[in-house]
Amino acid sequence: MSSSTRYNRQIILSDIGEEGQQKLAKSKVLVIGAGGLGTAILPYLAAAGVGEIGIVDHDVIEISNLQRQVIYKTDAIGKSKAKEAKATITELNPLVKVKAISEKLSGRNAISLFEKYDIIVDATDNIAIKYLINDACFVTNKPMVYGSIFRFQGQVSVFNYQNGPTYRCLYPDENSNAINCEEAGVLGVSVGIIGMFQANEVLKMILEIGEVLSGKILVYNVLNNEQQKYDFEKSDIQTITREAFEEKYNKCEVEEVSFESVLNEMDNDEVLFLDVRNTDESPKISLRNQIQIPLMHLESKLENLDKKQTIYIFCQSGIRSKIAFELLQKHQFKNIKSIAGGALAMKQLLKEDKLKLKI
Amino acid sequence: MIEVKYFGAVAEKTKCEFEKLSFSEELSLQKLLQDLNEKYEFEALTFSVAVNQKIVSKTSDYTLQTSDIVALLPPFAGG
Repeated sequence: MSSSTRYNRQIILSDIGEEGQQKLAKSKVLVIGAGGLGTAILPYLAAAGVGEIGIVDHDVIEISNLQRQVIYKTDAIGKSKAKEAKATITELNPLVKVKAISEKLSGRNAISLFEKYDIIVDATDNIAIKYLINDACFVTNKPMVYGSIFRFQGQVSVFNYQNGPTYRCLYPDENSNAINCEEAGVLGVSVGIIGMFQANEVLKMILEIGEVLSGKILVYNVLNNEQQKYDFEKSDIQTITREAFEEKYNKCEVEEVSFESVLNEMDNDEVLFLDVRNTDESPKISLRNQIQIPLMHLESKLENLDKKQTIYIFCQSGIRSKIAFELLQKHQFKNIKSIAGGALAMKQLLKEDKLKLKI
Repeated sequence: MIEVKYFGAVAEKTKCEFEKLSFSEELSLQKLLQDLNEKYEFEALTFSVAVNQKIVSKTSDYTLQTSDIVALLPPFAGG
Protein backbone atom coordinates (compact mmCIF):
# COMPACT_ATOMS: atom_id res chain seq x y z
CA MET A 1 0.00 0.00 0.00
CA SER A 2 2.60 2.54 1.11
CA SER A 3 4.83 1.63 -1.82
CA SER A 4 2.14 2.31 -4.41
CA THR A 5 1.51 5.67 -2.73
CA ARG A 6 5.24 6.39 -2.80
CA TYR A 7 5.40 5.73 -6.52
CA ASN A 8 1.93 7.10 -7.35
CA ARG A 9 3.05 9.96 -9.60
CA GLN A 10 4.88 7.61 -11.93
CA ILE A 11 2.40 4.74 -11.65
CA ILE A 12 -0.36 7.04 -12.95
CA LEU A 13 1.64 7.50 -16.16
CA SER A 14 -0.07 5.17 -18.58
CA ASP A 15 3.29 4.03 -20.01
CA ILE A 16 4.37 2.83 -16.57
CA GLY A 17 1.47 1.73 -14.36
CA GLU A 18 1.70 -0.97 -11.66
CA GLU A 19 3.29 -3.27 -14.20
CA GLY A 20 6.13 -0.82 -14.87
CA GLN A 21 6.64 -0.37 -11.15
CA GLN A 22 7.01 -4.14 -10.80
CA LYS A 23 9.66 -4.11 -13.53
CA LEU A 24 11.57 -1.45 -11.61
CA ALA A 25 11.30 -3.42 -8.38
CA LYS A 26 12.72 -6.51 -10.08
CA SER A 27 15.61 -4.71 -11.75
CA LYS A 28 19.22 -4.69 -10.64
CA VAL A 29 21.50 -1.84 -11.64
CA LEU A 30 25.22 -1.51 -11.00
CA VAL A 31 26.61 2.04 -10.99
CA ILE A 32 30.36 2.24 -11.40
CA GLY A 33 31.72 5.44 -9.97
CA ALA A 34 30.02 7.51 -7.27
CA GLY A 35 31.51 10.79 -8.45
CA GLY A 36 29.82 13.59 -10.37
CA LEU A 37 27.79 11.39 -12.71
CA GLY A 38 27.14 8.62 -10.20
CA THR A 39 25.83 10.89 -7.48
CA ALA A 40 23.42 12.46 -9.98
CA ILE A 41 22.17 9.07 -11.20
CA LEU A 42 21.91 7.17 -7.90
CA PRO A 43 19.22 9.17 -6.06
CA TYR A 44 16.91 9.08 -9.08
CA LEU A 45 17.24 5.33 -9.57
CA ALA A 46 16.62 4.77 -5.87
CA ALA A 47 13.70 7.19 -5.68
CA ALA A 48 12.06 5.58 -8.71
CA GLY A 49 12.17 2.21 -6.95
CA VAL A 50 14.88 0.25 -8.77
CA GLY A 51 14.94 -2.98 -6.72
CA GLU A 52 18.64 -3.45 -6.28
CA ILE A 53 21.48 -0.99 -6.73
CA GLY A 54 25.21 -1.72 -6.51
CA ILE A 55 27.68 1.15 -6.10
CA VAL A 56 31.32 0.57 -7.01
CA ASP A 57 33.83 3.20 -5.90
CA HIS A 58 37.08 2.79 -4.00
CA ASP A 59 37.66 6.52 -3.43
CA VAL A 60 37.03 8.63 -0.38
CA ILE A 61 35.23 11.96 -0.42
CA GLU A 62 37.47 14.99 -0.88
CA ILE A 63 36.56 18.61 -0.38
CA SER A 64 37.05 19.35 -4.07
CA ASN A 65 34.33 16.77 -4.89
CA LEU A 66 31.55 18.60 -3.06
CA GLN A 67 31.00 21.26 -5.74
CA ARG A 68 29.46 18.63 -8.02
CA GLN A 69 28.93 15.43 -6.02
CA VAL A 70 25.95 16.91 -4.27
CA ILE A 71 24.76 13.95 -2.19
CA TYR A 72 27.85 14.19 0.04
CA LYS A 73 27.90 16.44 3.08
CA THR A 74 30.90 18.45 4.21
CA ASP A 75 31.38 16.37 7.35
CA ALA A 76 31.70 13.21 5.22
CA ILE A 77 35.11 14.27 3.87
CA GLY A 78 37.49 11.34 4.18
CA LYS A 79 34.73 8.73 4.20
CA SER A 80 34.12 6.04 1.58
CA LYS A 81 32.06 7.30 -1.35
CA ALA A 82 30.35 3.96 -1.90
CA LYS A 83 29.30 3.72 1.75
CA GLU A 84 28.17 7.33 2.02
CA ALA A 85 26.19 7.05 -1.20
CA LYS A 86 24.59 3.88 0.12
CA ALA A 87 23.62 5.60 3.38
CA THR A 88 22.07 8.55 1.52
CA ILE A 89 20.01 6.58 -0.95
CA THR A 90 18.88 4.09 1.70
CA GLU A 91 17.49 7.01 3.67
CA LEU A 92 15.89 8.30 0.51
CA ASN A 93 14.15 5.00 -0.20
CA PRO A 94 14.48 2.13 2.31
CA LEU A 95 12.65 -0.21 -0.08
CA VAL A 96 15.73 -0.37 -2.31
CA LYS A 97 18.39 -2.97 -1.60
CA VAL A 98 21.75 -1.20 -1.88
CA LYS A 99 25.20 -2.71 -1.93
CA ALA A 100 28.31 -0.57 -1.41
CA ILE A 101 31.36 -2.05 -3.10
CA SER A 102 34.42 -0.08 -2.00
CA GLU A 103 36.74 -1.84 -4.41
CA LYS A 104 38.52 -0.73 -7.49
CA LEU A 105 36.92 -2.25 -10.58
CA SER A 106 39.45 -4.53 -12.25
CA GLY A 107 39.69 -7.48 -14.58
CA ARG A 108 39.52 -9.71 -11.52
CA ASN A 109 36.18 -8.55 -10.12
CA ALA A 110 34.36 -7.06 -13.14
CA ILE A 111 32.79 -10.17 -14.61
CA SER A 112 31.60 -11.76 -11.37
CA LEU A 113 30.16 -8.40 -10.34
CA PHE A 114 28.42 -7.66 -13.64
CA GLU A 115 26.80 -11.10 -13.68
CA LYS A 116 24.74 -10.14 -10.63
CA TYR A 117 23.11 -7.12 -12.31
CA ASP A 118 20.91 -6.37 -15.36
CA ILE A 119 22.28 -2.98 -16.36
CA ILE A 120 25.76 -1.53 -15.91
CA VAL A 121 26.15 2.24 -15.65
CA ASP A 122 29.52 3.75 -16.53
CA ALA A 123 29.88 6.83 -14.32
CA THR A 124 33.68 6.70 -14.27
CA ASP A 125 36.21 9.30 -15.20
CA ASN A 126 38.93 7.59 -17.17
CA ILE A 127 39.19 5.99 -20.55
CA ALA A 128 40.98 2.77 -19.60
CA ILE A 129 38.22 1.79 -17.20
CA LYS A 130 35.59 2.47 -19.89
CA TYR A 131 37.24 -0.15 -22.12
CA LEU A 132 37.28 -2.58 -19.19
CA ILE A 133 33.57 -1.94 -18.51
CA ASN A 134 32.80 -2.28 -22.20
CA ASP A 135 34.64 -5.58 -22.49
CA ALA A 136 33.17 -7.04 -19.31
CA CYS A 137 29.69 -5.98 -20.50
CA PHE A 138 30.34 -7.69 -23.81
CA VAL A 139 31.47 -10.91 -22.12
CA THR A 140 28.53 -10.93 -19.69
CA ASN A 141 26.03 -9.65 -22.28
CA LYS A 142 24.88 -6.61 -20.27
CA PRO A 143 24.02 -3.15 -21.58
CA MET A 144 26.43 -0.36 -20.64
CA VAL A 145 25.01 3.10 -20.07
CA TYR A 146 27.85 5.44 -20.96
CA GLY A 147 28.21 9.07 -19.97
CA SER A 148 31.17 11.39 -19.93
CA ILE A 149 32.09 15.02 -19.85
CA PHE A 150 34.57 17.38 -21.41
CA ARG A 151 34.23 20.80 -19.80
CA PHE A 152 30.83 22.11 -21.00
CA GLN A 153 30.04 19.18 -23.29
CA GLY A 154 28.77 15.74 -22.49
CA GLN A 155 28.27 12.43 -24.30
CA VAL A 156 25.68 9.76 -23.60
CA SER A 157 25.09 6.38 -25.22
CA VAL A 158 23.98 2.84 -24.46
CA PHE A 159 26.39 0.18 -25.63
CA ASN A 160 25.89 -3.53 -26.10
CA TYR A 161 22.11 -3.19 -25.79
CA GLN A 162 20.49 -6.33 -27.25
CA ASN A 163 23.72 -7.15 -29.09
CA GLY A 164 23.97 -3.58 -30.38
CA PRO A 165 27.19 -1.65 -31.06
CA THR A 166 29.74 -1.23 -28.25
CA TYR A 167 32.11 1.47 -27.07
CA ARG A 168 34.79 -0.12 -29.21
CA CYS A 169 32.62 0.22 -32.32
CA LEU A 170 32.52 3.97 -31.68
CA TYR A 171 36.08 4.36 -30.41
CA PRO A 172 38.28 1.47 -31.60
CA ASP A 173 41.51 3.22 -30.62
CA GLU A 174 42.14 2.24 -27.03
CA ASN A 175 45.23 4.37 -26.61
CA SER A 176 43.51 7.70 -26.54
CA ASN A 177 44.50 10.34 -24.07
CA ALA A 178 41.29 12.18 -23.22
CA ILE A 179 41.47 14.25 -20.07
CA ASN A 180 39.14 14.00 -17.07
CA CYS A 181 37.40 16.58 -14.84
CA GLU A 182 40.34 16.76 -12.47
CA GLU A 183 42.51 18.04 -15.30
CA ALA A 184 39.92 19.80 -17.46
CA GLY A 185 37.60 21.32 -14.85
CA VAL A 186 33.83 20.94 -14.74
CA LEU A 187 30.74 22.68 -13.45
CA GLY A 188 28.42 20.64 -11.22
CA VAL A 189 25.35 21.17 -13.37
CA SER A 190 27.11 19.70 -16.42
CA VAL A 191 27.68 16.32 -14.78
CA GLY A 192 24.19 16.59 -13.32
CA ILE A 193 22.61 17.02 -16.74
CA ILE A 194 24.55 14.17 -18.32
CA GLY A 195 23.88 11.95 -15.29
CA MET A 196 20.15 12.62 -15.75
CA PHE A 197 20.37 11.51 -19.36
CA GLN A 198 22.01 8.28 -18.17
CA ALA A 199 19.42 7.66 -15.44
CA ASN A 200 16.73 8.25 -18.06
CA GLU A 201 18.23 5.57 -20.35
CA VAL A 202 18.35 3.11 -17.43
CA LEU A 203 14.69 3.68 -16.58
CA LYS A 204 13.60 3.45 -20.23
CA MET A 205 15.35 0.12 -20.64
CA ILE A 206 13.78 -1.31 -17.50
CA LEU A 207 10.32 0.03 -18.35
CA GLU A 208 10.66 -0.88 -22.02
CA ILE A 209 9.41 2.52 -23.12
CA GLY A 210 10.71 5.05 -25.61
CA GLU A 211 13.80 4.62 -27.71
CA VAL A 212 17.08 3.54 -26.14
CA LEU A 213 20.23 5.42 -27.24
CA SER A 214 21.66 2.28 -28.78
CA GLY A 215 23.82 2.76 -31.88
CA LYS A 216 23.61 6.50 -31.28
CA ILE A 217 25.75 8.90 -29.34
CA LEU A 218 24.17 12.02 -27.95
CA VAL A 219 26.44 15.04 -27.64
CA TYR A 220 25.16 17.88 -25.48
CA ASN A 221 26.60 21.36 -25.07
CA VAL A 222 25.39 23.05 -21.88
CA LEU A 223 26.59 26.50 -22.96
CA ASN A 224 24.34 26.80 -26.00
CA ASN A 225 21.93 23.91 -25.32
CA GLU A 226 22.69 22.36 -28.67
CA GLN A 227 22.37 18.62 -28.86
CA GLN A 228 23.21 16.27 -31.68
CA LYS A 229 22.78 12.57 -32.17
CA TYR A 230 25.23 10.58 -34.27
CA ASP A 231 24.53 7.07 -35.51
CA PHE A 232 27.17 4.37 -35.49
CA GLU A 233 27.17 0.75 -36.49
CA LYS A 234 28.26 -2.48 -34.96
CA SER A 235 31.70 -3.58 -36.03
CA ASP A 236 32.23 -7.32 -36.12
CA ILE A 237 35.91 -7.04 -35.32
CA GLN A 238 35.34 -5.25 -32.01
CA THR A 239 34.43 -8.34 -30.01
CA ILE A 240 36.13 -10.06 -27.10
CA THR A 241 35.81 -13.59 -25.78
CA ARG A 242 35.97 -14.51 -22.13
CA GLU A 243 39.39 -16.10 -22.67
CA ALA A 244 40.69 -12.99 -24.41
CA PHE A 245 39.29 -10.90 -21.56
CA GLU A 246 41.17 -12.95 -18.95
CA GLU A 247 44.31 -12.78 -21.03
CA LYS A 248 44.06 -9.03 -21.49
CA TYR A 249 43.09 -7.94 -18.00
CA ASN A 250 44.25 -10.63 -15.62
CA LYS A 251 47.64 -11.63 -16.86
CA CYS A 252 50.36 -10.47 -14.51
CA GLU A 253 48.26 -7.64 -13.32
CA VAL A 254 50.23 -6.83 -10.22
CA GLU A 255 48.66 -4.16 -8.09
CA GLU A 256 51.32 -1.86 -6.75
CA VAL A 257 50.99 0.73 -4.04
CA SER A 258 53.48 3.23 -2.70
CA PHE A 259 54.53 2.76 0.91
CA GLU A 260 53.56 6.37 1.49
CA SER A 261 49.94 5.63 0.64
CA VAL A 262 49.77 2.83 3.22
CA LEU A 263 51.83 4.48 5.99
CA ASN A 264 48.77 5.01 8.15
CA GLU A 265 48.06 1.28 8.09
CA MET A 266 51.19 0.41 10.04
CA ASP A 267 49.15 0.06 13.22
CA ASN A 268 46.10 -1.45 11.59
CA ASP A 269 45.54 -5.04 12.75
CA GLU A 270 43.38 -5.69 9.70
CA VAL A 271 46.41 -5.56 7.45
CA LEU A 272 49.63 -7.48 7.26
CA PHE A 273 52.98 -6.44 5.85
CA LEU A 274 54.66 -9.46 4.33
CA ASP A 275 58.46 -9.34 3.91
CA VAL A 276 59.47 -11.94 1.31
CA ARG A 277 63.22 -11.29 1.58
CA ASN A 278 65.65 -13.70 3.11
CA THR A 279 66.27 -13.21 6.82
CA ASP A 280 69.84 -11.97 6.33
CA GLU A 281 68.91 -9.04 4.11
CA SER A 282 69.09 -5.45 5.25
CA PRO A 283 67.80 -2.85 5.82
CA LYS A 284 65.64 -4.51 8.40
CA ILE A 285 62.08 -3.35 8.54
CA SER A 286 60.18 -4.14 11.71
CA LEU A 287 56.59 -3.08 11.66
CA ARG A 288 54.24 -4.26 14.37
CA ASN A 289 51.91 -6.01 11.90
CA GLN A 290 54.61 -7.64 9.83
CA ILE A 291 55.84 -11.15 9.20
CA GLN A 292 58.72 -12.48 7.17
CA ILE A 293 58.42 -15.47 4.83
CA PRO A 294 61.22 -15.67 2.25
CA LEU A 295 59.85 -16.05 -1.27
CA MET A 296 61.34 -19.54 -1.70
CA HIS A 297 59.31 -20.81 1.29
CA LEU A 298 56.16 -18.84 0.61
CA GLU A 299 54.16 -21.49 -1.23
CA SER A 300 54.69 -24.03 1.54
CA LYS A 301 53.69 -21.60 4.27
CA LEU A 302 50.49 -20.19 2.85
CA GLU A 303 48.52 -21.52 5.82
CA ASN A 304 50.19 -18.82 7.91
CA LEU A 305 48.37 -16.19 5.91
CA ASP A 306 44.76 -15.11 6.20
CA LYS A 307 42.95 -14.65 2.89
CA LYS A 308 40.56 -12.18 4.46
CA GLN A 309 43.38 -9.90 5.55
CA THR A 310 44.79 -7.15 3.36
CA ILE A 311 48.39 -8.09 2.67
CA TYR A 312 51.06 -5.63 1.55
CA ILE A 313 53.96 -7.56 0.11
CA PHE A 314 57.46 -6.13 -0.03
CA CYS A 315 60.98 -7.30 -0.86
CA GLN A 316 64.21 -5.37 -1.32
CA SER A 317 63.29 -3.29 -4.37
CA GLY A 318 59.88 -4.46 -5.57
CA ILE A 319 60.73 -7.30 -7.97
CA ARG A 320 60.31 -10.41 -5.82
CA SER A 321 57.18 -8.94 -4.25
CA LYS A 322 55.59 -9.02 -7.69
CA ILE A 323 56.41 -12.70 -8.03
CA ALA A 324 54.97 -13.26 -4.56
CA PHE A 325 51.88 -11.31 -5.63
CA GLU A 326 51.32 -13.64 -8.58
CA LEU A 327 51.86 -16.66 -6.39
CA LEU A 328 49.28 -15.49 -3.84
CA GLN A 329 46.92 -14.50 -6.62
CA LYS A 330 47.17 -18.04 -7.99
CA HIS A 331 46.08 -19.30 -4.57
CA GLN A 332 42.99 -17.07 -4.57
CA PHE A 333 44.29 -14.33 -2.32
CA LYS A 334 42.29 -11.24 -3.30
CA ASN A 335 43.31 -8.39 -0.99
CA ILE A 336 46.97 -8.19 -1.88
CA LYS A 337 49.22 -5.40 -3.05
CA SER A 338 52.90 -5.11 -3.81
CA ILE A 339 54.81 -2.19 -2.31
CA ALA A 340 56.65 -0.30 -5.04
CA GLY A 341 60.37 0.15 -4.46
CA GLY A 342 60.42 -2.42 -1.63
CA ALA A 343 62.33 -2.10 1.66
CA LEU A 344 64.73 0.48 0.21
CA ALA A 345 61.88 2.90 -0.49
CA MET A 346 60.23 2.04 2.81
CA LYS A 347 63.32 2.70 4.86
CA GLN A 348 63.85 6.03 3.16
CA LEU A 349 60.34 7.09 4.00
CA LEU A 350 60.49 5.84 7.56
CA LYS A 351 63.66 7.89 8.08
CA GLU A 352 62.04 10.96 6.60
CA ASP A 353 59.09 10.53 8.86
CA LYS A 354 61.44 10.17 11.82
CA LEU A 355 59.37 7.34 13.08
CA LYS A 356 60.78 5.53 16.07
CA LEU A 357 61.11 2.06 14.73
CA LYS A 358 63.64 -0.64 15.31
CA ILE A 359 65.47 -0.40 12.04
CA MET B 1 30.72 24.56 -49.13
CA ILE B 2 30.82 21.97 -46.42
CA GLU B 3 30.54 22.50 -42.70
CA VAL B 4 32.93 20.92 -40.22
CA LYS B 5 31.96 20.69 -36.54
CA TYR B 6 34.49 20.22 -33.77
CA PHE B 7 33.88 18.85 -30.29
CA GLY B 8 35.74 18.48 -26.99
CA ALA B 9 39.52 18.53 -27.13
CA VAL B 10 39.43 18.82 -30.94
CA ALA B 11 37.59 22.16 -30.69
CA GLU B 12 40.27 23.35 -28.27
CA LYS B 13 42.86 22.76 -30.99
CA THR B 14 40.83 24.39 -33.76
CA LYS B 15 39.73 27.23 -31.44
CA CYS B 16 36.30 27.16 -33.06
CA GLU B 17 33.29 24.89 -32.83
CA PHE B 18 32.57 24.85 -36.53
CA GLU B 19 33.77 26.29 -39.81
CA LYS B 20 32.60 26.34 -43.39
CA LEU B 21 35.05 25.26 -46.03
CA SER B 22 34.80 25.66 -49.75
CA PHE B 23 36.58 23.41 -52.22
CA SER B 24 36.99 23.73 -55.93
CA GLU B 25 37.92 20.22 -57.00
CA GLU B 26 36.68 16.87 -55.83
CA LEU B 27 37.52 16.33 -52.16
CA SER B 28 37.52 12.99 -50.39
CA LEU B 29 36.87 12.70 -46.68
CA GLN B 30 40.34 11.24 -46.22
CA LYS B 31 41.95 14.24 -47.91
CA LEU B 32 39.87 16.67 -45.86
CA LEU B 33 41.06 14.98 -42.66
CA GLN B 34 44.65 15.13 -43.85
CA ASP B 35 44.31 18.84 -44.58
CA LEU B 36 42.73 19.54 -41.21
CA ASN B 37 45.43 17.55 -39.48
CA GLU B 38 48.12 19.64 -41.18
CA LYS B 39 46.34 22.85 -40.35
CA TYR B 40 45.57 22.10 -36.69
CA GLU B 41 48.15 19.45 -35.74
CA PHE B 42 45.76 17.08 -33.98
CA GLU B 43 48.71 14.70 -33.43
CA ALA B 44 47.84 12.22 -30.69
CA LEU B 45 44.21 13.31 -30.43
CA THR B 46 41.80 10.47 -31.03
CA PHE B 47 38.43 11.16 -32.61
CA SER B 48 35.73 9.52 -34.63
CA VAL B 49 34.36 11.17 -37.76
CA ALA B 50 30.73 11.59 -38.75
CA VAL B 51 29.33 12.69 -42.08
CA ASN B 52 25.75 13.92 -41.93
CA GLN B 53 25.26 12.56 -38.38
CA LYS B 54 26.62 9.11 -39.14
CA ILE B 55 29.98 7.80 -37.92
CA VAL B 56 32.10 6.62 -40.87
CA SER B 57 35.52 5.13 -41.34
CA LYS B 58 38.27 7.76 -41.36
CA THR B 59 39.91 6.04 -44.27
CA SER B 60 36.73 6.09 -46.32
CA ASP B 61 37.17 7.27 -49.91
CA TYR B 62 33.82 9.02 -49.69
CA THR B 63 33.68 12.10 -51.91
CA LEU B 64 32.30 15.06 -50.04
CA GLN B 65 29.20 16.71 -51.46
CA THR B 66 28.21 20.33 -51.17
CA SER B 67 26.24 20.90 -47.96
CA ASP B 68 27.71 17.83 -46.22
CA ILE B 69 28.27 18.27 -42.51
CA VAL B 70 31.37 16.60 -41.11
CA ALA B 71 31.89 16.23 -37.33
CA LEU B 72 35.03 15.33 -35.39
CA LEU B 73 34.09 13.59 -32.15
CA PRO B 74 36.78 12.77 -29.61
CA PRO B 75 35.99 10.52 -26.64
CA PHE B 76 35.34 12.39 -23.37
CA ALA B 77 36.63 11.11 -20.07
CA GLY B 78 35.28 13.33 -17.30
CA GLY B 79 32.70 12.21 -14.83
